[in-house]
Amino acid sequence: MRSKKIKIGAKLYILVCFIFFYLPIAVTMFFSFNSSKSLTNFTGFSLHWYSKLLSDQSILAAVYVSISIAVFATIISTILGTITAIGLSKSRRLLKEWLLNVNNVPIMNPDIVTAISLMILFSSAGLQRGYITMLLAHVAFCTPFVITSVYPKVRSMDQNLPNAAMDLGATPYQALTKVVVPLLKPGIFAGMLLAFTMSLDDFIVSYFVTGNGVSNISILVYNMTKRINPTINALSTLLILAVAIVLIGMNIWPVIKEKRKNKLTASGNAKPRRNSRKREKVTFWSVTAIITLVAVVCAAQFSTIANKQTLRVFNSGEYVDMSLISDFEKENNCKVVYETYDSNESMYTKLQSGSTYDILVPSDYMIERLIKEKYLKPVDWSLITRKDAIISDLVSSNEYDPGCKYSVPYYWGNVGIVYNKNIVSREDLEEGWEILKNTKYKGQIYMYDSERDSFMIALKSLGYSMNTTSKAEIREAYNWLIEQSETMDPVYVGDDVMDNMISGNKAMAVVYSGDAAYIIDENDDMEYFVPDEGTNEWCDAMVVTKYCKNMELACKFMDYFLDDEVSKVNTEYIGYDSAVKSTFEYFRDVAYAGNSGCAPDQTNPRNEVFHNQSQKTKEYMSNLWTKVKSN
Amino acid sequence: MKNKPIIELRDISKNFGDQQVLRGINLDIYENEFLTLLGPSGCGKTTILRIIAGFEEPSNGQVLFNGENIAKLPPYKREVNTVFQKYALFPFLNVRDNVAFGLKLKGLDDDIISQRVDKMLSMVGLKGYEKRDVTRLSGGQQQRVAIARALINEPKVLLLDEPLGALDAKLRKGMQIELKKIQKEVGITFVFVTHDQEEALSMSDTIVVINDGIIQQVGSPMDIYNEPEKRFVAEFIGESNIIEGNMIRDCLVKFDDIEWECVDKGFKPNEEIEVVLRPEDMDVVDVDQAKLTGTIVSKVFMGVHYEYFVETSYRKYKVHTTESYEVGKEIGLTIDPYDIQVMHIS
Repeated sequence: MRSKKIKIGAKLYILVCFIFFYLPIAVTMFFSFNSSKSLTNFTGFSLHWYSKLLSDQSILAAVYVSISIAVFATIISTILGTITAIGLSKSRRLLKEWLLNVNNVPIMNPDIVTAISLMILFSSAGLQRGYITMLLAHVAFCTPFVITSVYPKVRSMDQNLPNAAMDLGATPYQALTKVVVPLLKPGIFAGMLLAFTMSLDDFIVSYFVTGNGVSNISILVYNMTKRINPTINALSTLLILAVAIVLIGMNIWPVIKEKRKNKLTASGNAKPRRNSRKREKVTFWSVTAIITLVAVVCAAQFSTIANKQTLRVFNSGEYVDMSLISDFEKENNCKVVYETYDSNESMYTKLQSGSTYDILVPSDYMIERLIKEKYLKPVDWSLITRKDAIISDLVSSNEYDPGCKYSVPYYWGNVGIVYNKNIVSREDLEEGWEILKNTKYKGQIYMYDSERDSFMIALKSLGYSMNTTSKAEIREAYNWLIEQSETMDPVYVGDDVMDNMISGNKAMAVVYSGDAAYIIDENDDMEYFVPDEGTNEWCDAMVVTKYCKNMELACKFMDYFLDDEVSKVNTEYIGYDSAVKSTFEYFRDVAYAGNSGCAPDQTNPRNEVFHNQSQKTKEYMSNLWTKVKSN
Repeated sequence: MKNKPIIELRDISKNFGDQQVLRGINLDIYENEFLTLLGPSGCGKTTILRIIAGFEEPSNGQVLFNGENIAKLPPYKREVNTVFQKYALFPFLNVRDNVAFGLKLKGLDDDIISQRVDKMLSMVGLKGYEKRDVTRLSGGQQQRVAIARALINEPKVLLLDEPLGALDAKLRKGMQIELKKIQKEVGITFVFVTHDQEEALSMSDTIVVINDGIIQQVGSPMDIYNEPEKRFVAEFIGESNIIEGNMIRDCLVKFDDIEWECVDKGFKPNEEIEVVLRPEDMDVVDVDQAKLTGTIVSKVFMGVHYEYFVETSYRKYKVHTTESYEVGKEIGLTIDPYDIQVMHIS
């Protein structure tokens, strides 16, 4: 009786474990077949995201980069690591111990440290960042793992075995390949597998050392998370499937081999040895063929880049419809090296570390900073034919770059509150930003996890400027936020706010106007509201860096996005308010007509634009913000 | 049989760091002989073997192979093959592929390899084991694979590094006989390393006794046993009573204040010497018939014989005899002249 109970308990435990491991994966796979964009609301079965995935050049390129880097890094680091391990076993004890300890350092080192050191190394060595630097970095962090898994095998190997091989007439090289390597095979194989998964998995190191538009799957996915859509799920599903097939194959292969072996022994003695030799040859040549193929494809890719005019564009993730980029390339017979970042700050860091781009798409305050620090070249407006298509206010009355000497406006909007009409009453909205402290809505609020926007809300609510440098005012705003955090239990979220609000998980959320438009489009219960106390009015614009050598092409590119048709397609994808007047009006009056998130009010004199903060203010605010979040 | 040396070691010495393992080894190894390097562990016998095989380079001296210095030749270019202490079989290959390893490297035809492997396996009595996994064989079988793997290359000299060390006593005896048989059959030189004196005595044509990196004595098993030239050899091989004494003149030696007739010559008058008396050569007689008398103080049954310790007025003697005597009995001891071995003091 009792043992039966234990058995059921054990089974239940295993079941719970497996659910814990596999449920997230199952959910991911499930939503890859969703017909709509939502990640939480299943609306119907479709293979739409798979066809989108397979037609998306940037995803296919990333898959190619990930896999080819993993293959090359594995091969190189396995060879390097194995040779090192063998050599290590023959060196003096003191040297050996010392080297093994040194070998452990990169393994124990946090990835971020490795990543930054490699980035600095490549910069100072003057290596152009891209495929090669990523490969070198992967070899660097994979090799120690190979050494650690091969070395114990070398140590436990009977030292007389290589001697025996040489005694029987093998040269040292033959002894290595015919005896030592087969003996170390389990260790080498384990090291290889480890290296391959480490390389395929890697995000941090790759993110820092890459450049020139080369990104692997993890970098791509990271930048895609700005606007999560089921393409990621489809990609994940395919990856999981590939891993599953490899795993099943690895488990089945020995069984097949055993069976075949038995068959061969039954069918005679002389033949199988020839077969095994033949098989060895076949494996050798097929591996060589695959490697050459990959190398050729790789070289071909590079040479096409080298032969065409290129434009290096560094944009925020999910901030352009990629099909437009391909169209632009075809139209102008050029190559656009397109890379993405996740925030203005990380873009700035990359720029500082010596990465060179032609076009960036930063926000207002960052443009102000870049101009001040002389990173930008003035735009040659004579080359831009569609200047008049831009909403004139964005050019003439902006504060970060008056008259748009350096920038071509791209998208704009403001910050407000998206709310559920059925829960939040009209009267309460009269409170303005203070509604975020109305205890009636306790536990019903998403705050946007952005330091400056959160302080903006508090400062505006208190009647101060959001660009204040007064410590006392910032302190007051901090108290406001702390009080709100204590009384309201808000949840601080990132871009997942959109999916949560579309699903109607909470009553209110602080969002950008463009995101609000998207939420409202998907969920009719939602409405957008901007408090009368004023808000952050932002604008992102395209700028040309001082590194740009082809101003003509850069201007063509910026001009291209001012085209009415192009900007309509782009806006359809992005969902923010376009800087192109005709597009803006089309969405305001036709496509998104009646959507309160579209075309926000610009007339409120209390609205402001962010200015670049001094280092001191920034640090002060940053510290306080950490305290708010950890409250 | 001893016509022409195939391997000559000339003044070989070897240092590992500041430790001197071999000090001036000079040795001739002849064609077709079964030569054993015998000595306690750490004496340098395996190092000599490794120098001949090419795994170690001598710090000094020459290794001549058919008159040619091969001291710096790598192992894969030497016409010798080795059977290693723990066999060093390749665990990832089956019996056939282990044996065929050397021939495959030479790039011979599969058919020829097959033929020769079959022949070799039947010689070592492993026919039908071709497909077996070597790690699943018994110690004796692994041993045979190792021998076959080495001999298939038709070496001029086969080196064996304590090959029987890991076998149990009975199997060992069998393998000793078989090894000797194989050596006769293939007709090449075997250089055999062991620390087991019995093994050395029963198998060898020539025994080289080594201690502390120096050759102590070279000779046939009979010479080594019956006429040890140095105290170490006498002590290491067989059991012995070693007594200090003086050589009065040729064929007359004095120890324990008694003069004994012997067969040894060529010593200086009154030279201080050591005498070796094998316990089985000491004959027990009545007290009144003996020059030497004593009392039995201990008795141990050893199977074939008894081992006694006999207390005399000078020392305790170890005596082996098949007769049974009681402890406490007073007995006399005599020694035949040819059973007394006189050595220079080393």
